[in-house]
Amino acid sequence: MSYAVEVENLRVRIGGFEVLRDLTFKVPENTIFTVMGPSGSGKSTLLRVINRLIDLIPEAEVSGRVVVLGRDVFKADPYRLRTRIGMVFQTPNPFPHLSIYENVALGPKLNGLVKSKKELDNLVRWALEKAMLWEEVKDKLDVPPLGLSGGQQQRLCIARALAMRPELLLLDEPTANVDPINARKIEDVLISFRREGGVTIMMVTHSPPQASRVSDYIAFIYMGQLVEVGPADQVFVNPRNKLTERFLRGEVS
Amino acid sequence: MRDVSSRREAERLSLVRRIKDKLFLVILVVLSMAAFLPLFHIVASILYYGGWTLLRGGLSFLVDTPPSPLSSNLGGIGPALVGSAVLVFLTVILGLPLSFMAAVFTVEYPNTLVARVTKLVCRSFTEIPTVLIGVLSYTLVVIPMGRFSALAGAVALAIVMVPYSYTYMEESLASIPRTYREAAYSLGLTRPRAVFSVFTRIARRGILTGVLIGLAKAAGETAPLLFTIGGLRHAYFNGPDHPVGAIPLLIYEFALTPYRVYREVAWGAALVLIAIYLVIFVVLRRTVREVRM
Amino acid sequence: MRFPSREDRMFFYMLLPFAGVVFIVFVLLFEVLIQNSVPVLLREGLKFLTSSAWRPSEVSPDQEFYGILSPLVGTLYSSLIALILALPTSIALAIFINDYTPPQLRDHVTGLVDLMAGLPTVLYGLWGAFVLAPILKTYIMTPLSLYLGFVPVFGCRPITGFTVFTAGTVLSVMILPFMTSMIRESLASIPRTYREAVYSLGATRYEASRMLVSMTKPAVMAATLLGFGRAAGETIAVSMTIGNSFGLPLCMFEPSYTISSLIANQFANAGFYHYMTSALYAAGLFLLATGLLLNSAGVYMLVKWRRTYRR
Repeated sequence: MSYAVEVENLRVRIGGFEVLRDLTFKVPENTIFTVMGPSGSGKSTLLRVINRLIDLIPEAEVSGRVVVLGRDVFKADPYRLRTRIGMVFQTPNPFPHLSIYENVALGPKLNGLVKSKKELDNLVRWALEKAMLWEEVKDKLDVPPLGLSGGQQQRLCIARALAMRPELLLLDEPTANVDPINARKIEDVLISFRREGGVTIMMVTHSPPQASRVSDYIAFIYMGQLVEVGPADQVFVNPRNKLTERFLRGEVS
Repeated sequence: MRDVSSRREAERLSLVRRIKDKLFLVILVVLSMAAFLPLFHIVASILYYGGWTLLRGGLSFLVDTPPSPLSSNLGGIGPALVGSAVLVFLTVILGLPLSFMAAVFTVEYPNTLVARVTKLVCRSFTEIPTVLIGVLSYTLVVIPMGRFSALAGAVALAIVMVPYSYTYMEESLASIPRTYREAAYSLGLTRPRAVFSVFTRIARRGILTGVLIGLAKAAGETAPLLFTIGGLRHAYFNGPDHPVGAIPLLIYEFALTPYRVYREVAWGAALVLIAIYLVIFVVLRRTVREVRM
Repeated sequence: MRFPSREDRMFFYMLLPFAGVVFIVFVLLFEVLIQNSVPVLLREGLKFLTSSAWRPSEVSPDQEFYGILSPLVGTLYSSLIALILALPTSIALAIFINDYTPPQLRDHVTGLVDLMAGLPTVLYGLWGAFVLAPILKTYIMTPLSLYLGFVPVFGCRPITGFTVFTAGTVLSVMILPFMTSMIRESLASIPRTYREAVYSLGATRYEASRMLVSMTKPAVMAATLLGFGRAAGETIAVSMTIGNSFGLPLCMFEPSYTISSLIANQFANAGFYHYMTSALYAAGLFLLATGLLLNSAGVYMLVKWRRTYRR
């Protein structure tokens, strides 16, 4: 089996505080890998190491080895690396000064993925369809996204990430600020997207039910430490660690 | 696999983009340096030219009266220095209670019409050309009094200063957490007692900042003094209802003359002025992180 | 209004006059300017704005005529030069401080910017007149007029260093820190998640900066308007560097006047003439009105912009 992400002895300190302590695990290609844990356990930081957005926090000290898509992230050029990784954030953050169309088209345009306007139109439509948003916005592609609901905005952000044709998609609590109906829609988007193959999805969530609905693999992180990692069925049905069991029962938060 | 992906990367981050990125950084650094260059050049020029003047004049430069236009004797800026001190003193006496009380009013009775208008007026007053405030004080103080005076200058400077000190005081009073307000009132304090013995102490930093901004404005402004203080040059101080001199005004007037010795005096005065300003500024920076003037 | 207690009521009426004074001064400023402009405005009407003749007369008031077109043009011209120089520089400096300066140094650099913003204007004027003007004349203005003289705005040799261009340059130095602070604050107030989003799309630092600046466009425009207002209202430094002479310069290497430097230079002896004082009050009124208009437009944009991101 080949791996999209390999993490070895990863440690992150931010301002003297140990956010991640000695993490080691592997994310198999073409799967949905969910990182689960209570809020403040360092999950979001982990995603930011993978695409080197951690660089934006100058006081962060990182050590260990992380290989993403065959490259050592700390030796690779972060800008090149990010062109192959999409990311969706905890709060829906479509650019308010761009239109819906421009939001989706931004990544392909920056990275020269398309040669013609026609190709771009097709790509934008494809991404919006994948994000199950096309029907809702096809008549208002030219208006700014501020009029969309939170859930629609979040699906727009997913479309924005998908339009880059990423090999790895990172999702940082994508449904945390979204109503339950939209949350289910987003989960459906992920599952259908994984079925098509060619992409590895790494999601962070604090909700065990959501993790159980979408994941192939689960990692449980608590206070910056990896408590348990394995195939989803095994972790849910037969957790090896007491702490995981308690978290799944809702006793740890 | 690796081959394919490296080709995709190359496609996605072309040479053009990397060059643009580097070029951007170069432009950024060059423009940023260009932005600070004038500041250093100004300070260096004042140190150089003003330094010569002060070396030649010595300490008596600070106390003597200015020279006559063609004399070789340097004289000094004593009257202007005294005048500036008088102006700062009068301005603070006029402006401080006004800005403080107005700030307390807007914070304590925020929903009244007067409070809203005061806030709005102070915000726009910082953008009003100060020369017009000089004209106002000329019309309202100088003409009725029949002569230029320190008082007229102080009135103009106070009008310039109030919006700045008001803003700092208002912001710091308004940002007192609600729990402190509740605590004060739960002790049974009346509103005036709560304001003067509790809130004012909590907001003392902002209030101090307001005072210092006022000092800086009163010491450094020129335009409000043009038609108000009369630019007295050779006498020190005859009372607040008589003309006085001031350092900024002296620099302005002397710089515009063709006489060499006047220009020397102007540079020397500039050195004194920048020293005063720097002292106030350093104290300001210690009380507040961002100084808006 | 109802008060919970007697002390409260007394406190209110004790403070009211202080707040009232602020408002009254504001009204008085308009009152004084309007009242004193009436004579010249009644006499000349719109010609006051559209004529470039500035004709005092000792002989008879009938021969006097005052039009402020020329200082008006001088004001616009010098402020425009100031903006053209200051806008790109302040954007660059704002980005540099925000994104490229290490956090430990950032405070010191903004301190320098604030220091520049508060420096007494007469010092800018002194430096502009005796240090900058000769440098600009020898190394910038003369060469430009020699080699690019076919461009109308460069089409004359500077006779002295005191020109519209010099004044514009000094003004640009003066409004730069003010505009930088405004733009930097608005850049810093963009939530971090947008910054992360741009970078996650594979943007280079240049592309990310461009994106963030275009997000703050309303704030940049507000800074431009307010900067323009400051430049147009500045008196001392301009009066020391612009040469103070009437004329309608097309070439930026000629001396000129601005409205505020006109008031500064003429107000003291305007009393010798019948209408000149009134003309200067009217010029001041015009300056005040346009200044406040620009200012409120800027503040309006800023408020609107802040609303977009404060959700």
